[in-house]
Amino acid sequence: MKKTVDVALPVGPMHPCWKEPVRLKCEMKGEHVLACEVELGYAKKGIERIMRGRPWQEVMFLAERICGICTVIHNYVFIETVEEISEITVPERAEYLRVIVNELDRIQSHLLANFSYCYTIEHETLGMYLLSIRETALDQLELITGARITCAYMIPGGVRFDLSGEDAITLQEGLSAIETETMRYRGMFETGPMIGLRSKGVGILTTEDAKIVGAVGPTGRASNVPFDVRSGHPVYQRLGFEPVVYDTCDNWGRIMARFDEVLQSCALIRTCLLKMKPGSIRGGGAIKGGEAVHSGEAPRGELRYYLKTDEHGRVIDISIRTPSIPNIEASGHYMIPGVSSAADVTSSFISCDPCVSCCER
Amino acid sequence: MTYSILLYLKEVLRPESIRLFFCAKTAPLILPKHFRNFPETTGRECTNCLACMMICPSDTAIEVLKIKGEWTPVIHKGHCVRCGFCVEACPENVLDCGRVLDLQRRDRISFYSEFFITIDPTLCKRCGNCSVACPVNKEIDPTLAGSGTPVSDEVIMKIIDGEMRVIHPEKCTGCSTCELTCANNAIRVARVVQAMQVPEELT
Repeated sequence: MKKTVDVALPVGPMHPCWKEPVRLKCEMKGEHVLACEVELGYAKKGIERIMRGRPWQEVMFLAERICGICTVIHNYVFIETVEEISEITVPERAEYLRVIVNELDRIQSHLLANFSYCYTIEHETLGMYLLSIRETALDQLELITGARITCAYMIPGGVRFDLSGEDAITLQEGLSAIETETMRYRGMFETGPMIGLRSKGVGILTTEDAKIVGAVGPTGRASNVPFDVRSGHPVYQRLGFEPVVYDTCDNWGRIMARFDEVLQSCALIRTCLLKMKPGSIRGGGAIKGGEAVHSGEAPRGELRYYLKTDEHGRVIDISIRTPSIPNIEASGHYMIPGVSSAADVTSSFISCDPCVSCCER
Repeated sequence: MTYSILLYLKEVLRPESIRLFFCAKTAPLILPKHFRNFPETTGRECTNCLACMMICPSDTAIEVLKIKGEWTPVIHKGHCVRCGFCVEACPENVLDCGRVLDLQRRDRISFYSEFFITIDPTLCKRCGNCSVACPVNKEIDPTLAGSGTPVSDEVIMKIIDGEMRVIHPEKCTGCSTCELTCANNAIRVARVVQAMQVPEELT
C-alpha cells in the first residue's frame, strides 16, 4: 500500500473485538481513516482437500465443521447438492423440518452477530441480553436434533429424526419467548440514543458500491439490494417468503435487518408447523455420479457449493464459495475508509458479520 | 442525558427485571435427556457385523474388540463426533446415545448399505497389509495374524501370483480397516449408504 499518511494502524490479528484472527491495516490521518487493507490467512484448514475421496456420510460432517456458527446451512446446501446430482426427492414433511432447523440456526447466528456488534460499540448489557435469548434458540435446536451446534440433521432423502407433538409445543413456547424478547431488544436498539450516535451514518456502503463489490446477505440487504436466495427456493416460495430490505446503508441498518430477520424466521417456523402434515421423513435413494452447483442462503448471505462425485457417490472435487468473502471485501474497501474515528473501524468491520473460518475454510 | 436515565429506569424497574435481580440463579448443570452424548453399550449381544465401523464418519472412532470372550464395540472418545450414526446402523441395538434408539424405534428408520472394493494396481505395492488387517479375514482364517499370509481361499482378498485379488467381495462389511491400513491409498471401499424409513402400513 502506498504510504500517503502519517500513521499506519494495524488492527489484529489478535484483537478483543475479533472472534477469529484477521488483520486490518488502516492508513490514518489523525483519527480519520483514509484506506484499509484486509489480511486473511491465519485460520486456513484445507477442509476441501480433506473432503476429497470420501462418501457423503463423512463429507457432511466435514462440511458442518467449516464454520462454527452457521453449521446447519453448510449441511443443508451440501445435502441439496448431492440430491440434485442423484435426483433424490425429499418427502414434504422432511422439507418443512429442514426449514425449521435452518431458521433456528439463522436465529442463533443473527443473535450472536448482533451481540458481537453491541460488544464492539461497548454496549455490553444489550449484548449479554442477546446471548441470553440465543440460549433459548440453541435449546430448541438441541431438542429437535440432539446437539446444539453440530446438529448433523439433514441426510440425502430426508432428515434424521421426526418432530413429535410434545416437542412441537415446547418449540412453540420457545419461539414465543424469542419473539417477545427480540421485540424488546430491537426497540432498545432502535431508540437507544448512544447506540444511534455510534451506529447511524457510520460505515456507509451505498447501493452502487454494494452491487459492485457483490455484498450479500444482511450486509447487501441493508444497502437496499433485495437479493435473497431463499426467494427462489421452492419450499420458501410455498411459505410466502419476502426478503427484509433496509435503505439506510449504515451499521445501524445492518443490525436492524438482522433483528427483523430473526422475527421473520420465527414467523416462518410457525408457518411450517402449521403446514406440516404427518408423513414419512426419509425417502431413500442412492448417490450417483455427476456434478452440480447449488446455492443456499446462509445467515451471512449466498453460500454456493460445486460438487463432483464418482459413480459410487464419493467426492472427486468440491469447491465452496462462502458469503463472508464479498462481505469482508465490502467492509475493507467501502465501509471502513471514510469513518471518522479509529474506534469505528472495529464496529464497521463487525457489522458485516465477518466469519473468517468460513472465508478461509 | 435525561432521556437515557429515563430509559435505564424504565428497563430496570420492570417486575421481571426486579425478580431476576433478587432471584438470580444459573441453570443446573444437568445434561437433558435428548442430548446426543457418546454412545454407550446397552448390554445386548454384539454379533460382530461391523455396521458401526462401516457408518462411522470419523476414522477409527469405533472398534469392535473381543473382550473376555465377547465382542464389544469400543468408542475412542477423542475421535468420536457424537453423531449417533452407529446407534442407528446397529441391527442388534447394542449401542445407545441420548434418545436416538427410542426415536429409531418410533420413526422406523434405518440405513441400507452396499460396498464396492476397488484396487488401483498402479498404486498397490502388493504388501498384503490390507488382507492381514481385515477383521473378516481374521475371523475366517485364525492363523492369519501369526503367519501373515492367508492360507484359506474363503478370505475376502489375498495375494495370488503376486497380484492382490478380491476373491469374495460379498463378504465385505465395509468397515474400511483396509483403507486405513493401506499406505498408498490403493484399496478403496465405496460405501453407498441410503437412509430408509419403513412405511407405517408394513409394521
